[in-house]
Amino acid sequence: MKRREFIASASSMMLPLTVSGMGIKTLSQTSSMVRSVLKTNAAQTDRVLVIIYLNGGNDGLNTVIPLDQYSKYYSLRSNIAIPESSVLKLNGNLETGFHPAMTGMQNLYNEGKLAIAHSVSYPNPNQSHVRSTDIWMTGVNSDVYSSSGWAGRYLESRFANYPMNYPNPQMPDPLAIQIGYMDTTTLKGNQQTTNISFEDPSKFYQMMGALGTVNSDDMPCCDAGDLISFIKQQQISSIGYSSRIKAAADAGRNLATYPTTTSVNDLSEQLKIVARLIHGGLKSKLYFVEMGGFDTHATQIGSTPTEGVHANLLKKLSEGISAFQKDLNLQGIEDKVIGMTFSDFGRRANSNISKGTDHGIAAPMFIFGTGIKRQLVGTNPDLVNDMIPLTMNPSNKNQDIKMQIDFRRIYSDMLNDWFGTNKSTTESLLFGAHRTTSLFSNTIESLGSGAWPDRNLWSSNRMPGPGDYVKINSGHIVSLGENITVRNIHVEGNGELKLLPNVKVNTTG
Amino acid sequence: MPNLDTYTPLLTAHTAAHLLRRATFGPTKQEIDSFIGLTATEAVAKLMSNVALTVNPSPPVDYYDTQPTAGQPFLNEPYNLPRQGNFNAFIRYWWVGLMCEQNGNPSVLEKLAAFWQNHFVVPQGVIGDYKKSFQFLKLLRTGCLKSFRTLIIEMTKNPGMLKFQNGDLNQKGWPNENYARELQELFVVGENDFAGNQNYTEDDVKAAAKVLTGWQVTTNSNGDSTAVFTPARHDTSDKTFSSKYNNKTIAGRSDASAGDAELAELIDMLLAHPHTGRFICRKLYRWYVNPNVTTDIEDNVIGPLASFFTSPANNFNIQPVLEKLLTSNIFYDNRNIGAIIKSPAEFAIGMVRLFGQEVPNHTTDYVAFRKFAEFVYWNMSGLQLDFLSQPLVFGSIPYYQSGYSKNWINGNTLGIRGAQIDKFVHPYIAIRPGSLIGIDFLAWVRALQPNFSDVAGTPSISCEYAFEQFSKYLFAIPLTQSQKDFLIDTIMMKNLPRATWTNELTNYRKNPTNINSSNAVMWRGQLVMRYMMRMAEYHIF
Repeated sequence: MKRREFIASASSMMLPLTVSGMGIKTLSQTSSMVRSVLKTNAAQTDRVLVIIYLNGGNDGLNTVIPLDQYSKYYSLRSNIAIPESSVLKLNGNLETGFHPAMTGMQNLYNEGKLAIAHSVSYPNPNQSHVRSTDIWMTGVNSDVYSSSGWAGRYLESRFANYPMNYPNPQMPDPLAIQIGYMDTTTLKGNQQTTNISFEDPSKFYQMMGALGTVNSDDMPCCDAGDLISFIKQQQISSIGYSSRIKAAADAGRNLATYPTTTSVNDLSEQLKIVARLIHGGLKSKLYFVEMGGFDTHATQIGSTPTEGVHANLLKKLSEGISAFQKDLNLQGIEDKVIGMTFSDFGRRANSNISKGTDHGIAAPMFIFGTGIKRQLVGTNPDLVNDMIPLTMNPSNKNQDIKMQIDFRRIYSDMLNDWFGTNKSTTESLLFGAHRTTSLFSNTIESLGSGAWPDRNLWSSNRMPGPGDYVKINSGHIVSLGENITVRNIHVEGNGELKLLPNVKVNTTG
Repeated sequence: MPNLDTYTPLLTAHTAAHLLRRATFGPTKQEIDSFIGLTATEAVAKLMSNVALTVNPSPPVDYYDTQPTAGQPFLNEPYNLPRQGNFNAFIRYWWVGLMCEQNGNPSVLEKLAAFWQNHFVVPQGVIGDYKKSFQFLKLLRTGCLKSFRTLIIEMTKNPGMLKFQNGDLNQKGWPNENYARELQELFVVGENDFAGNQNYTEDDVKAAAKVLTGWQVTTNSNGDSTAVFTPARHDTSDKTFSSKYNNKTIAGRSDASAGDAELAELIDMLLAHPHTGRFICRKLYRWYVNPNVTTDIEDNVIGPLASFFTSPANNFNIQPVLEKLLTSNIFYDNRNIGAIIKSPAEFAIGMVRLFGQEVPNHTTDYVAFRKFAEFVYWNMSGLQLDFLSQPLVFGSIPYYQSGYSKNWINGNTLGIRGAQIDKFVHPYIAIRPGSLIGIDFLAWVRALQPNFSDVAGTPSISCEYAFEQFSKYLFAIPLTQSQKDFLIDTIMMKNLPRATWTNELTNYRKNPTNINSSNAVMWRGQLVMRYMMRMAEYHIF
């Protein structure tokens, strides 16, 4: 054996191990780490997911700013760059900051209630709004088409045979709610839409109350028959659910102050309704809200880089989310709600001469709520090595930000860990297995073999830190060349942690 | 191909109504009647020749009576910034008025212009300038039946489009790819072919952006805009495209005509793409025939139609393609009748046209016209269709998103449609004193009843006859007998004997000024009409 010490366990059993004279604790079934690894998959019946769609393709690089590479950031987009001194700082995260309009989300981050998933996209990205949004909403590979949405398929699988025999005592409410006029593909099931859409719960009840009953026989053939039965189903569900929605809206209370709205159907207005309905006891599992205006090809800043179109959008987003989270907190229901944002795609790393940004590839997603177990998935994009193409060529100065996290990994975590869906069901709903990002776990898993600092080695796409448990999966060999502090390390059967000489692993439990 | 062969049977009420519902925003009853017995070819020829009657209407005027310029045209006046919002709205009202026009000579014009308006979006909400908006609309209305090649070249240089898609910012060394992408993805080639293969590459977007560098908009002191080409802003390098375009190179040019010359070469390259014809023809098919394009339809309708569209003999002319489609066997196939959910336009405009709602003259009776147009326009807008102000460059979601026309329908929009039907069936909005928007059931019944005042000599019309007239041409798919019985007995008569109707009508004829007598008759009409218009069957066409 070489001088190099290593840990290799011969079976998947937990073994008491000693490395460099320092104990790695035996893990019993009751330890928090084991519990988190062996998380039960019992359906989390009262949990809610709120999806916020940022229509148009948000400029990620001016939203989450890589302070650790400020000069490179500035040179990519000097005509729209946020001044370094204006960037909002994040507690315990010197490398990254927020756009100055995002004070609300800065506070949420500092309170541990907001996570950033960096550079989210999908392989072979598409830069068409229509197609890329469709890929995000349906949850497919970019060369595959689906007419159903990822969340709609999930709800259909959880509530078998919807809409037949619904509502029923187990599920008296709509499976999902969309605040708006045009149904999202995200919530389309294979059979029907799974959501009820409205703008205002009370007005909705009045409109539906006046609709009257609908007779349903004598269906014509072909597409006409299909359309008629679709409309009838929408009428029946909407009438049937409108009184439940109104009752929840009447019973619920908004306890936080929301920002003053500047237009009809502002994001904060939509989130305010969502908070009221959840608080009022509506059992819907998914809420979908939307804000538009993110397609900032030109003049995304005003007379200074810290104000203008994009600043106003981020201010609305940030104020809306922080008021919503505060509301849930005051209502005492914070622990049952998780929110996430998504957009068509990110925007180009470099700006254009029109003080705007063209369509790009990867961008950050935000996940918020008390249920998250980590605040960072992935790292700031490396503005040299994560660029596509790697170097600017003189005739084409355009560079895009490469993907770190496939968005379906976040969806998969939502289904597995937040909703407690069976893993094989999640795989079938998302057309394949997607590795966890450990968003809902304090354990980071290895995804392969390599050197410890390599982000690609880890489920969270970043090196484990002092707050993390680490699990090295079977067959993976991880070599460690520097001292580290983590809470604990668990090595699966046939996994291996190779320590270079004199390297210390500090564990904090 | 039999699908595209000419439909030979003479038009019946059923097929004449189908043609008019699809070729316009909804027919009047007289128009349907006047098309019965024509061949499809004759009928479509009429729809085409009638275009000339309305293609150059009098321009919009100031529709606000409180303004000093009330009733006067405003487009040739110097730009009026304080009134920008009003004038943008007036242009929308003016166009909606043309869509509702009832001159007895229906044409394909406005429905086709609306197709292109959804294809090439230039939203007032983004560009602001009402003169550019009207310029865009004029291009659509005058160019919509002619050469697609000319239309796309004109559209590329349209000042509103140059502003909206940032073409005016696109310059040498600093390309703005916005328009170059949409030109390929949305306007000419389409993102994918039917099998889902990409039709162009990201590098093709970048190359096209370079071809398009140098165009800007100038605006004179009157506020009228034109496109100008500045050679100094133009990228003079050679632009090379991918194998999707046969590795075509467009040679860089530097003189004053470089912009037009390279643009022409670019458009010819896009038009030569093997998918272009199918992309445009498929979109027309979805708009006019059925959004559901199966592989069979793709192979046996879209393909042959595209071959015809792109053939040297046709050379990308639009009118012959539309004529072929609207006279084809596949258009009249029973499977395609009722195969689309009405858009807000077909719903809101169709309603005022079917019931013969008067459209006031927009210059001589402009206040009444404005009130009428406001009713129709804001009904559509409330249902998420804002002509000339659609928020997204890809047009309305129901024309491209999976589910297509189903996307118009959800609990929210059904509720709003219901409320709009109520306003029309229970009229209360006045366009001028004494003239309400909506259905005047008493006038309708008085017209249906022969010798209305001769109560003793002429029997009152039956409940069944009144119902047949009320429901005439209301549905794309004929009602079944059981549906009719349900509507008459349960809805209209509230389970009273049908003879009750005759008695009530006779009573009204004897006492035409008695409010209780007239209300009884009106109420039955309103009951059944409100119900029928809320039926799912009413919302397909």
